[in-house]
Amino acid sequence: MAYEFRLPDIGEGMAEGEIVRWLVKEGDELGQDQPMVEIMTDKATVEIAAPRAGRVLDRCFKEGARCPVGEVLVIIGTSDDDDRTPSPVAPTPGPTPPPAPVTSAPARKPETVLATPAVRKLAREMDVALTAVTGTGPGGQITADDVRTAKVSAGLVAPTPRPMVTGDVRIPFRGVRRKIAEHMLRTQREVAQFTYVEEVDVTELVELRNKAEARLVSHDVKLSYLPFFIRATVEALKKQPQLNAYLDEKAGEIVQRHEYHIGLAAQTPEGLMVPVIRHADRRSLLELAREVERLATCARTGHVSPSDLSGSTFTITSLGALGGLSATPIINYPEVAILAVHKIAKRPAVVDDKIVIREMMNLSLSVDHRMVDGHDAARFVAEIKASLETPGLLFLEST
Amino acid sequence: MTGKPTSKVRSGQSQAESVEAFSDADEARATGLLQILDEDGRTHGAVPALSAAELVRMYEGMLHGRLLDDHLATMQRQGRIGHTLDARGQEAGVIAAAHALGPDDYFVPALREASAALYRGLPLRTYLAQMLGNANDPAHGRQMPGQVGSRASRHVIGSSSVASQIPHATGLAWAARIRGERTVVVGFVGDGGTSEDDFQSGLNFAAVFKAPVVFVCQNNQWAISTPLSSQTVARSIAIKGLAFGVPSVRVDGNDILALYATIKEAVDRARAGRGPSFIEAVTYRLGAHGPTDDPSRYRDPAEAATWQGKDPLLRFGAWLHAKEILTVEAQSTTRQRIDDEIRAAIAAEETIGPPSTASLFDDVLAEPSWLLDQQRAEYLRARKQRRG
Repeated sequence: MAYEFRLPDIGEGMAEGEIVRWLVKEGDELGQDQPMVEIMTDKATVEIAAPRAGRVLDRCFKEGARCPVGEVLVIIGTSDDDDRTPSPVAPTPGPTPPPAPVTSAPARKPETVLATPAVRKLAREMDVALTAVTGTGPGGQITADDVRTAKVSAGLVAPTPRPMVTGDVRIPFRGVRRKIAEHMLRTQREVAQFTYVEEVDVTELVELRNKAEARLVSHDVKLSYLPFFIRATVEALKKQPQLNAYLDEKAGEIVQRHEYHIGLAAQTPEGLMVPVIRHADRRSLLELAREVERLATCARTGHVSPSDLSGSTFTITSLGALGGLSATPIINYPEVAILAVHKIAKRPAVVDDKIVIREMMNLSLSVDHRMVDGHDAARFVAEIKASLETPGLLFLEST
Repeated sequence: MTGKPTSKVRSGQSQAESVEAFSDADEARATGLLQILDEDGRTHGAVPALSAAELVRMYEGMLHGRLLDDHLATMQRQGRIGHTLDARGQEAGVIAAAHALGPDDYFVPALREASAALYRGLPLRTYLAQMLGNANDPAHGRQMPGQVGSRASRHVIGSSSVASQIPHATGLAWAARIRGERTVVVGFVGDGGTSEDDFQSGLNFAAVFKAPVVFVCQNNQWAISTPLSSQTVARSIAIKGLAFGVPSVRVDGNDILALYATIKEAVDRARAGRGPSFIEAVTYRLGAHGPTDDPSRYRDPAEAATWQGKDPLLRFGAWLHAKEILTVEAQSTTRQRIDDEIRAAIAAEETIGPPSTASLFDDVLAEPSWLLDQQRAEYLRARKQRRG
């Protein structure tokens, strides 16, 4: 009976070995433990000796070829082997090739599920019924890959898949969040918006506010920059009424408003809200400051009334100290424009051909191009810039 | 100090006295090379008092180890065993230490000292069962092949953690001292192991508490692919022992007579309560570190060839022949007899199948547990169903 010698795993988890040199020829008589072949693994070149005596019938791989572990490397005929054509499926009695003591059974479906706890857990998570999976592991054991493959093939997906248990946090998409999403999406869908960015030297404004704040100590009100921005915006809107407007699509008309209700985008625990300062044009800076404060408190504590949240004709968004360099704010539909004011910071600026330190701030204006062109947007921003750079101008036409 | 344990020892207190100052002679012993049997098989100085029967037994022990390693290395390449640890070239130190111990003494092996277990009574078939991981293996194939242990032979089961054997040997020895037993422990380590923390703390503890332990370093020049020159710049490995106040000797590690004389003296010293000793056995690993190692990638073949000429078996055989204790002819017969024994034992153990899968549930806990019983029953039920 011919003996098929299969390449064993002679390293630690090797997959194949390269035949460096055959030490025997076909037809050679081999002694037990006589060196047959040199094999190179990833780690070492080793000599393999004949596991039994006999004649070399077939060297199955050429020198330089790679023999996978478990493949027949050489066929040795025993003394009673006269013919040189051994049965390829000759069983190998005596010393069994050890790496796979279990005769590797073909993939089959045993009545009892064979799977490790880790694979069972994976199957539970993926909603795969192990009884319906064919195992390809040793003895028909179900492997993790079997479970994944089963998941892909359609029939095995459970009718009502449960959400996978992962480390992700899942939050219901509803309420304020959903409203914000719908509102923003509407703008993106229906408005052709562009953004214009300008730099403003607010050195004088900073000085003015500092002086004013000192005078206002006894008035129990905090004067932020926001009232100045509101005032400057309102004055600019008066000169550029096409930015204080909305589009009446049904009537086919652009409606210019002569009321100035300024929305202030504010972050609250529930998400973005836009409380509105009504008739901003009729309020002094101090009154604006008080109204800003009131709305801010209401928004923070969640006590904003619906009337405070609607009816704006123009919106200002400010991230305060966080306020970055520029942004592309999304218009508060159906308004025509939204102004983002960024943080005030000391930056080098050129004044009279000298580089000096100035208090600088950027403005980003997003505009609906359907109703307003770039030129008008630039003029609008230029108006605001002029007012903020020379804040005394704000008082010329103030109420 | 006397060997008699005192209550002071039992209470765990230190036995440290003022550290003996080491003389030039001590330093010479730690950096020189003690040799009795030279490479040509001639002796120099006093030969230890050993009967002819003892000498033959020691020779057979070394030869047994050599032939067994030859077979195991071949079997590993044929895929018949998964792993083997080769002691070829280093047999002298293993057998010298095994012979110097009494039956109640402990042997704590490093990696290549399984022959000591066989020499001290472990049946060859049990060892082969362990190498094969078959149903006869007391550990049911759960231990790395070659890391054999034997409670009966007081051969501590092998650990692959380098130098962990040194604190273990110290602990065993100290325990024996506390109990008032006359047990001595031999702990092995390699040259690489002497760079480990365990070596330092083990030697220091043993010295401070006068533990009855003998440390033997098999300096085979290579820690896998790290040569001794990269391992230490100390003048020798033995000299490290002096730092801990441990008498240390550097010995020709391929000279079984010098090794036996030195180890026996150290064992007697330990048994007399005079504390630990450290012995550096200068030898050479003729083979690879392990089955996945290829020394030709990092070692000069000329170096190995030189050491082939210093083979411990060849010189011992030559001397035994010259002394007419065991002639060359008798050696040849002995070799054939041992080889036949080994072949027969391998053939017998290879007919034993693997441990039953149900044995997976054995030996997990010392006492039976309902959980394991349940798992075993579940497994057996499933197996029965599967087999129809």
